[in-house]
Amino acid sequence: MAGVLTETVEPSDLKKFEKIYHEQLYKNDVTPKAQFEYAWCLVRSKYPADIQKGIILLEDLYKTHEEGQRDYLYYLAIGTARLKEYTKALNYVRSFLLIEPGNQQVISLQQTIKKKMEKEGLVGMAMAGGVVLAVGAIVGVGMAIASKVKS
Amino acid sequence: MDEEVLTTLKILIIGESGVGKSSILVRFTEDNFDPDQTLTIGVDFKTKKLTVDDNTVKLAIWDTAGQERFRTLTPSYYRDAQGAILVYDVTNYSTFAKLETWLNELETYSTKANIVKMIVGNKIDKENREVNREEAMKFARRHQTLYIEASAKTRDGVQCAFEELVHKIIQTPGLWESFALNGNFQVDNKDHPSDSSSCYCSLT
Ligand SMILES: Nc1nc2c(ncn2[C@@H]2O[C@H](COP(=O)(O)OP(=O)(O)OP(=O)(O)O)[C@@H](O)[C@H]2O)c(=O)[nH]1
Ligand SMILES: [Mg+2]
Repeated sequence: MAGVLTETVEPSDLKKFEKIYHEQLYKNDVTPKAQFEYAWCLVRSKYPADIQKGIILLEDLYKTHEEGQRDYLYYLAIGTARLKEYTKALNYVRSFLLIEPGNQQVISLQQTIKKKMEKEGLVGMAMAGGVVLAVGAIVGVGMAIASKVKS
Repeated sequence: MDEEVLTTLKILIIGESGVGKSSILVRFTEDNFDPDQTLTIGVDFKTKKLTVDDNTVKLAIWDTAGQERFRTLTPSYYRDAQGAILVYDVTNYSTFAKLETWLNELETYSTKANIVKMIVGNKIDKENREVNREEAMKFARRHQTLYIEASAKTRDGVQCAFEELVHKIIQTPGLWESFALNGNFQVDNKDHPSDSSSCYCSLT
């Protein structure tokens, strides 16, 4: 079924935005826009290696470009969920919801991820393995955004 | 829940940021309204089953972000869509003026030539109206789209917009395929009498 975690990017789109990004990279002048657009394509790829690359680009943007942080967090959640790294994905979602508790789009992404985990029989595992990691990650990211929002 | 589903239809919602695209979708899928609806990030997705003229279809609805910074990528979601809902805000003339651009965008990126288009004038519950109904209907007729006025806040027109759109898609030959290729689904191809529903869409 189609959905934000399963639809895939058209190869021609991926190529197009890859080209723009690489041209800027070559000139050593990558704009956050080009990097985000390329990452947005990558995390929707069929290939885990692409998704991984997209996540790295988004993490970099997240640290360097304040304005788009909620967008980056959202697509980080999507990318990690597609890699079946559900604990990480849910941490990104929770960090987002700490800042914007009522965001329906993100709440519905959270539900989609949880449903997927249930289907794959992973709920127990995430509970057991995720808790310790989760606390650290949430506090970390949450504080980072909170401090940026204030400044 | 388990009626036979005739087909899945891909529907797009496009238009300027803040006109109420997500609010219309939330009203339609969950019968809710949030005065603090947050702006969409990239693209959101929801599904809902709908029965129109005795045919049950599943709608896969892509709700795009209108904000400028997402505009380069949202058109990639237009592919294969059978229906498009173009929303403007009746209290903000510039969102109506931009419809021309959105129609061009659809023309450029949608892959189905006979995609069914519907213009929705949203927020009719508000007082300070800037776009009158006649002008909008004229525009819709000129561009051969369906037209309806709605309020995600009060529910007016929302259900009807989706029903009329689906009705028109089902009536359009070659636009969709049935799941059961050799099944004997009967699609009612009779002309839709315009007074058969409480809807006030204008078919052009
Ligand atoms: N009064 C009134 N307000 C509405 C209506 N529909 C939406 N709104 C409000 O308008 C604002 C924007 O609505 P959204 O649904 O987020 O707009 P959008 O078109 O999805 O915006 P983007 O996601 O940025 O493209 C929110 O504050 C809604 O509560 C309506 O019918 N009446
Ligand atoms: Mg929206």
